[in-house]
Amino acid sequence: MRAPATTTAMLDLLLQPLAEPFFVRALIAVALSGATCACLGAYVVLRRMAFVSTALTHSILPGVVGALLLGFSPYLGALVAALLTAAGAAWLASRKGTSEDSAVGVMLSVMFAAGIALMQQANSWRDFAGLLFGSVVSVGGDDLLVIGATTAIVLFGLRALHKELELASFDEEYASLLGARPALMRVVLLVLVALGSVACVRLVGALLTTALFVIPAATGVLLGRTVPQVMGWGTVCALLGGVGGLYLSYYAPAVPSGAGIVLCCALPYLAARIFAPRR
Amino acid sequence: MNRIISTLSRHLGETVFSILPAIPYARKEKDGCPGVAVSAKQLSAAARADGPIAFHDATFEIPCGCRTALIGPNGSGKSTLLRVLAGLTPIRSGEVRIGGEPPRLGRSRIAYLAQRPHLAESFPLKLRRLVQMGTYAHHGWFEECQHGDEAVDRALSRLGLTDLADRPVYTLSGGQLQRGLIARAVVQGAEILLLDEPYAALDQPSREIIDRFLFDQGHAFTVVMATHDPADLGRFDRVLEMRDGVIATRHACSGHDHRHA
Repeated sequence: MRAPATTTAMLDLLLQPLAEPFFVRALIAVALSGATCACLGAYVVLRRMAFVSTALTHSILPGVVGALLLGFSPYLGALVAALLTAAGAAWLASRKGTSEDSAVGVMLSVMFAAGIALMQQANSWRDFAGLLFGSVVSVGGDDLLVIGATTAIVLFGLRALHKELELASFDEEYASLLGARPALMRVVLLVLVALGSVACVRLVGALLTTALFVIPAATGVLLGRTVPQVMGWGTVCALLGGVGGLYLSYYAPAVPSGAGIVLCCALPYLAARIFAPRR
Repeated sequence: MNRIISTLSRHLGETVFSILPAIPYARKEKDGCPGVAVSAKQLSAAARADGPIAFHDATFEIPCGCRTALIGPNGSGKSTLLRVLAGLTPIRSGEVRIGGEPPRLGRSRIAYLAQRPHLAESFPLKLRRLVQMGTYAHHGWFEECQHGDEAVDRALSRLGLTDLADRPVYTLSGGQLQRGLIARAVVQGAEILLLDEPYAALDQPSREIIDRFLFDQGHAFTVVMATHDPADLGRFDRVLEMRDGVIATRHACSGHDHRHA
């Protein structure tokens, strides 16, 4: 009779948090934003845009703090700040003498510094730890609506432009030759990454959101042989990590949800790294 | 798992594309070759917008169906000329027409193959998908290219790639990849092939397959090929020599009917 007792205890551990509405909301949020980031992440990883995505996600900080100070929606602020960062980096890099790498570096640090300066202005630190590191309890009904809408837009965009994004990422010159506008595809991808990072800031936090773009997709690259397969395996990894991370931070409240999710995402990556057949 | 992914992707695609209108990448071209495939008058161009002139005052003609070799030392402007014809590099002055129109991007009847194509490294893409990209030229935004499989199979077999169709691109050798890129141009339905030293770094079997394809069969291709190999020249209908920024026609015939064997 021991085994069933252990099973019941395990089941209890899994089911008990589900009685809490905030945990269920967080689960839905992590599933949606995990799938979004994993699918977008495939392009972030394959195009080596990890640094740009870091800049976009970090610039959410000044966006949200600024929005709180000015009194409008933090999501809007985050999106505006991320788009501003992308546009700023593109503008800085458009002149000779500044590489795109350093342009992104400049924008990343300037935006993050601006965020810290604004945080001092705000005087109340109430939600800022959650903003930086993520928090399970903070996901409300409104947040779910925003996350759901972003997920829908991003997945719709990725599917509608799949062949163009794939072509432009693989062979940019051929994309130009066909008239498939690879420069425009890059802008589209940056806008989608900005949208995607806004979707997961609640749970993962501005500092770690970039991990959700990179780790699942890096796992996908190890396991998939086509772009959709990379996205699929990446989503599996993000779901495992996301759900695992939420449980971790539920039972160990000292671990912010962002940290838990990222740590749990690293496990499937490590497994794939060790066990996936060599390419 | 992979089947789930492809089913999901297909269903999602059906929904998405039923909502969005299909928009072509570029405006449609006229059918058929207008007699002269390429003509240039007093043409000059530079490899970079702020760089020195690569060649100047080039005046020449290439009839439809003519296999043309572009020879000359390194840095003589062969690659720049091919990129101008492909619509990738703007001209400085003069006039140039290819397939009856000034060069521009988005033309399915013209295919350009760079000397060293910049393909993303270790990109998860099967050879079949690479060749299928040629069909995009006849589609556009918000459209799936499900059909055209037959053309892809035919092109793969003509270039001896049938057995490699499901191999990831990053596992192919240089010669296999080069053949794949030519197969893509075939699927695209290109009538004018602009090839920048396609034989550089190819093994003999790959070279022979490409040769057979370009020279032996009775296709109505116009070929403009930059090459360094003097042994090759006898097979071409026309040889354009570029030296010190000037283009001279060294050897010409009227094209199709008088082609050397």
